[in-house]
Amino acid sequence: MKNPIVEREFVGLLRTRKALAMQVCVALAFAALVVIRWPTDGLVDLSGEQSREVFQLFAYGLMATIVLLGPTFPASSIVSEKTRGTLALLLNSPMSAWSIFWGKWLGVLGFVLLLLVVSLPGAAACYTMGGVDLVRDIGGLYGVLLVVGLQYTALGLAVSCYANSTDSALRITYGIVLLASVLLLAPHYFFQGQPGIVSWLAEWARCISPVSAIMELLGHGDVGGLIAKKGVLPRFIGLGLLSTAGLVLTTVSRLNYSIFDRSRSAGNITDDRGLAMRTARRVFFLVDPQRRKRAIAWYTNAVMVKEFRSRRFGRSHWLLRLIAGCAVISLGLACISTVGVRNWGVEMIGGLMVTLQVLLIIILTPSLCASLISAERESGGWTLLQMTPLSPGAILRGKLYSAIATLLMALAATLPGYLAMVYIEPAMYEQVRQVLVCLALTAFFSISLSTLVSSFFDKTAVATTTAYVLLAGFCTGTLLIWLGRDAPFGQSTVQAALMLNPMAAALSVIGAPGFTQYDLVPANWWIVGAASMMMLAVLRYRVWRLTLPQ
Amino acid sequence: MASNDLVVSVDRLTKKYGEFTALDDLSFTLERGHILGFIGPNGAGKTTTIKILVGLARPTSGSASIAGADCVRDARKIKRLVGFMPDKFGAYDNMRVNEYLDFFGAAFGIGRRKRAKRIDEVMEITGAAYMKDRYVSTLSHGMQQRIGIARTLLHDPEVLIFDEPANGLDPQARIEMRTLLLHLAEIGKTLIVTSHILPELSRICDTVAIITEGKLRAFGTLDEIVRQVGQRRMIDVLISEQSQLERARQILEATLGASAEVVVSVAEHAVRFRAGGTERELAEVLAKLVHEGISVSQFRELQTDLEEAFLTVTANKQVKQVDAAEALAATPGGEA
Repeated sequence: MKNPIVEREFVGLLRTRKALAMQVCVALAFAALVVIRWPTDGLVDLSGEQSREVFQLFAYGLMATIVLLGPTFPASSIVSEKTRGTLALLLNSPMSAWSIFWGKWLGVLGFVLLLLVVSLPGAAACYTMGGVDLVRDIGGLYGVLLVVGLQYTALGLAVSCYANSTDSALRITYGIVLLASVLLLAPHYFFQGQPGIVSWLAEWARCISPVSAIMELLGHGDVGGLIAKKGVLPRFIGLGLLSTAGLVLTTVSRLNYSIFDRSRSAGNITDDRGLAMRTARRVFFLVDPQRRKRAIAWYTNAVMVKEFRSRRFGRSHWLLRLIAGCAVISLGLACISTVGVRNWGVEMIGGLMVTLQVLLIIILTPSLCASLISAERESGGWTLLQMTPLSPGAILRGKLYSAIATLLMALAATLPGYLAMVYIEPAMYEQVRQVLVCLALTAFFSISLSTLVSSFFDKTAVATTTAYVLLAGFCTGTLLIWLGRDAPFGQSTVQAALMLNPMAAALSVIGAPGFTQYDLVPANWWIVGAASMMMLAVLRYRVWRLTLPQ
Repeated sequence: MASNDLVVSVDRLTKKYGEFTALDDLSFTLERGHILGFIGPNGAGKTTTIKILVGLARPTSGSASIAGADCVRDARKIKRLVGFMPDKFGAYDNMRVNEYLDFFGAAFGIGRRKRAKRIDEVMEITGAAYMKDRYVSTLSHGMQQRIGIARTLLHDPEVLIFDEPANGLDPQARIEMRTLLLHLAEIGKTLIVTSHILPELSRICDTVAIITEGKLRAFGTLDEIVRQVGQRRMIDVLISEQSQLERARQILEATLGASAEVVVSVAEHAVRFRAGGTERELAEVLAKLVHEGISVSQFRELQTDLEEAFLTVTANKQVKQVDAAEALAATPGGEA
């Protein structure tokens, strides 16, 4: 029987400008990659080495595209229907939960497939240049990406049916995607080759990431490169399909009355409870979230306080948990670096810490900043702010302070690892100092970019997605060129590309493997700093424009 | 009447978006302590007018002022003079009512102690004191509207402008909202209220402005509007003997013609007709009925409501536009 949701989801999605822009950008990017590397002289590379290098870049680029763009539409699919009220109509129709799910899943999968189809001419060009096997290389790549598409769209839908707003669904989905695709590689990096269950678990954990699967497919070896173990690909496919099945069942089991069956929060205040309960809550919560808050003081920026209070994880108890979590991870890394310094060297551990901190910034910043202005405009709060005597500068400062303070606290909690590093190798003090400057600039750049994006959209979900894609694209996009170092890209091209990437600068300063030959500091600081300042200036202008009468 | 009692003054206001004219030469005035019902179909220009009044939009030409402050030039002053509640509430997640009001109080620069006192006062006025510790986003629509009004009162503005305050409210909440708006007028506030729920407006507003296609079609008290739009009165004749109903209808049709739209209601023992004539002419109609032996027990004029006046105006686009002088003259007690 024809499923009406498939048609509506897929055709409706194709009609959006966002989907069109994504397809055009993907097609142009891969066409440009092949055109740049297409042989123009009479010499033929019989070994196919050059063509293989282009194919490797193509494969990593396509994987990044599917990982970043794949979850966008499914993550907002169910929750947006819920907030619009149309999900109730669907559940009230004779369609079963399975029909609704299939309709939605096939609709969003259709878009992922379309992205893959759009990239086929690029793959065909790589094949034509020679050196690439049709079944093993191209077939394998598209097979892996199909599993990634299935898994991440199912993940997006599962998160979407539990989330309460579109932007929270996007934030959670992107957080899980970045965790699954990048962070899960870290334990293996540390524990590879060691005996025991931790090493075994770490080895399986990295099989969840499509990065290790693609690396094996392209013959780039194993993550970390110390011990090249085979067999990632079948395990990735197995785990991918298994997790997809689990996510599908989770989503379908949620598509019924239970999705609406929630009462309003009564919002009981601890101050109104009995003495015993009040005392207990204050002891166990440290900072009691249910306590009646004091009025905003005259010397604080009212907008900043409002941001902290209205943000889901902005209240003190959540901030304390975030800081504690970061401190535990950092101390864990410090402990590992102390124990494993003989195996890996301080530089490798430092590189890993930098990567993890940049990932923390990439995950946290868009979720903090992309909603700063867009959410106000979406909820109607911006009109109310416009009606107050607050100046555009005061509004912007309050919003930025709230994001900067949160990010700084989280980053500060990750510093003990560096202290341990300097203690082990005192000569690294200067390097650590430079790394911290790089990280501060990364945070500054991420905040400026995400808040600027926020000022251009009146839908939080769109702003959040755009901020994530731009920021992740900026950091990983330049690293794609780094992946093609020596060939097809020369030293100067890679150096120029990395000059724009604050994470690369930090990695080069710490002397991480693969980055030592590039001299990025202080030019990178100037570029990133100037770009951030420019974005802040544009942001200031945008906020001023937004506060003007129509 | 002294002119400084005029709180709101709109003069030849025009707003164009490209080729589209949202407001066309709109003029009216409003005195202190009055409640103006601003009505019109969707897209008539109500929200555009309100946005200009509160400084959220700029007119293409013309001017608007509140308590002497120009809505364009004195935008900062306007913010302190006006309390504006848009049709969208503007809730913040995870914030309790007290925190929500505290934030807006701080944004208006009200000191901490005074703010706490003022929050208690406005919550008392709006009957929202019991919601103090509830989360704003979890409140029902009616409760949110009360908090919205409490927010507009925080800085004690002279003029309150509410865009569709009764929208989406249940009957009980609507009655409470009506009582609240009347109370605000009693404590000296000047109110401008837009609404689609006309019976509600007619019960609270002493002045009404009807706007369609960006033009002011009628302005004044409800009675004056009925006169302005040329609404014919509906007369209800109760007849004690049911057998005489048909005869009464024939007499009325013969006397007034087919345009009288005579209708017989057997259940109510009544005959109704529309009359555009003077009191004297109506007296002659009654005398005719009595003379013909019809046993008339009651002869009364049915109240023409705002809904009928509105429908007449919106159905008849030919109704002339009210100009500034007329609008001023139509202001209750106003002078041209």
